[in-house]
Amino acid sequence: MIKLTDVNACYQDFHVLKNVSLAVEKGQIVVMLGPNGHGKSTVLKAICGLVKKVSGLIRFEGENITGLGSEKLVDMGITYIAENRELFPQMSVLENLKLGAYSRSARAFEKKNLEKVFDLFPRLRDRQSQLASTMSGGEARMLAIARGLMSNARFLAIDEPSLGLQPNLRDEVAKIIKQINGQGITLLVVEQNIPQITELADTLYVLEEGRISFEGSKEDALGNDHLKEIFLGM
Amino acid sequence: MVIEIADVIISGLINGSVYALMAVGLTLIYGVSKAFNFAYGSFYSLGGYIAFLLFGLSFINNYFLVFLLAAPILLVFGFFVEKVLVAPLRKRDDWEIKVMMITLGLALFLDNSFQVIFGSRMKSLPPFLEGGFEGGNFYLSHQDVGIFFLSIGGILLFRWFLNNTRTGMSVRAVAQNPAGAQIVGIPKEFVFAATFAISTVMVGMGGILLAQKYFITPMGGWDILVKAWVITAFGGMGSIRGGLYAAFIVGMLEAFVGWYFGMTWTLIVLFAVLLTTLAVRPQGLLGKWG
Repeated sequence: MIKLTDVNACYQDFHVLKNVSLAVEKGQIVVMLGPNGHGKSTVLKAICGLVKKVSGLIRFEGENITGLGSEKLVDMGITYIAENRELFPQMSVLENLKLGAYSRSARAFEKKNLEKVFDLFPRLRDRQSQLASTMSGGEARMLAIARGLMSNARFLAIDEPSLGLQPNLRDEVAKIIKQINGQGITLLVVEQNIPQITELADTLYVLEEGRISFEGSKEDALGNDHLKEIFLGM
Repeated sequence: MVIEIADVIISGLINGSVYALMAVGLTLIYGVSKAFNFAYGSFYSLGGYIAFLLFGLSFINNYFLVFLLAAPILLVFGFFVEKVLVAPLRKRDDWEIKVMMITLGLALFLDNSFQVIFGSRMKSLPPFLEGGFEGGNFYLSHQDVGIFFLSIGGILLFRWFLNNTRTGMSVRAVAQNPAGAQIVGIPKEFVFAATFAISTVMVGMGGILLAQKYFITPMGGWDILVKAWVITAFGGMGSIRGGLYAAFIVGMLEAFVGWYFGMTWTLIVLFAVLLTTLAVRPQGLLGKWG
């Protein structure tokens, strides 16, 4: 569904991604691990059209999408859910969700997706009129994921959903990710603080210093001493 | 005395309402794109001159038609200016300063064009409504009442637009969190241009409303730019509600100072109040830090 071939990305003069190649098949959950600051977020942002300088080849369902902006990509069904949530603080929960359905292709499904999202996060249904800035970290995280779902995406790139989350909510996040995937949405998740999410992965990638240093199944990863260190280092 | 004070309050309210309309436009551009538009005052004059030209056409004999035609002209003009002059600068690092410079250049260009085309003599517009309410020494013209309600109507319409339309919501989204707006797929470039265009309509309409009372001159926009700037800074850069309060405070202050000390004192007092406010609250009445 998503295929990266030798992708390079830069911020100003800083070369972040170096010849990254990876693939996410339709219906899969792919999880990316790796130390902080080594470019995991940049991979997601590069796919979703949020990095200016990208070279190489990024394909979505066979189509070349390299260099397209987020407006086009969201419309095509590719949505990014940010680690720092990036909500609209002075807007209500409902307004945040409605803006999630801003793209042309999502508008027709706004009502249907709103119901879906409220079923997934009943808390948000009760708090529709609350301002996003007054929500707790956990609720804001749910809202960020819900807003991403409103785009009617077929592919979601979820960036560190555990960031700023109380440990007891991690189970819930893992459950929600499983449910989202169960609805047929393909997922690429950057997350290493929630073992339950790693458990869900069809494929694991490890990104170190801007390069893919490992690709394989969970079983392969557990047999790899270097990776074990990363896992145990959690 | 009582009637005099009533007159002053009414005059302050009416000017305040038009200032509010114009200051909201200026604070909107700043809130959304963080750019300061130095040509804002010239857009005020442009509104007046467009109305003046429209009244010259034989089939136009009322303000309804003038507003109906002037609004889209101003909208297209504003959109075009943003796309051609401002948008290309945004890709550069120090674009804020460059936007100030280029809009300053545009202001000088427009003002001198007005002078060449229309001459330096004042132009006037016919009153919007004739007659007035009378009672003893007290007189309130229908025109003033009309100006007040049109300005307030314009602000309410704008508020409705921001809260209830898709484009309006995307404008607020970009103002509150540009990165978030990009994530949900809002075309930022379009929102910047749309914001600029809407604010051009707001100040241009203000120009048409006030031209009936204060005439149109090629350089008349500078006074408005200064006042709109004072109101924006006083209310808090980028805060629409702060701008509204500040506009009425400035309108009132101006009316009272003009009545008590004479019109020459108004700008001096305005700046004194602005500087005092900023010394105590550098972010303005309702602005936020950063």
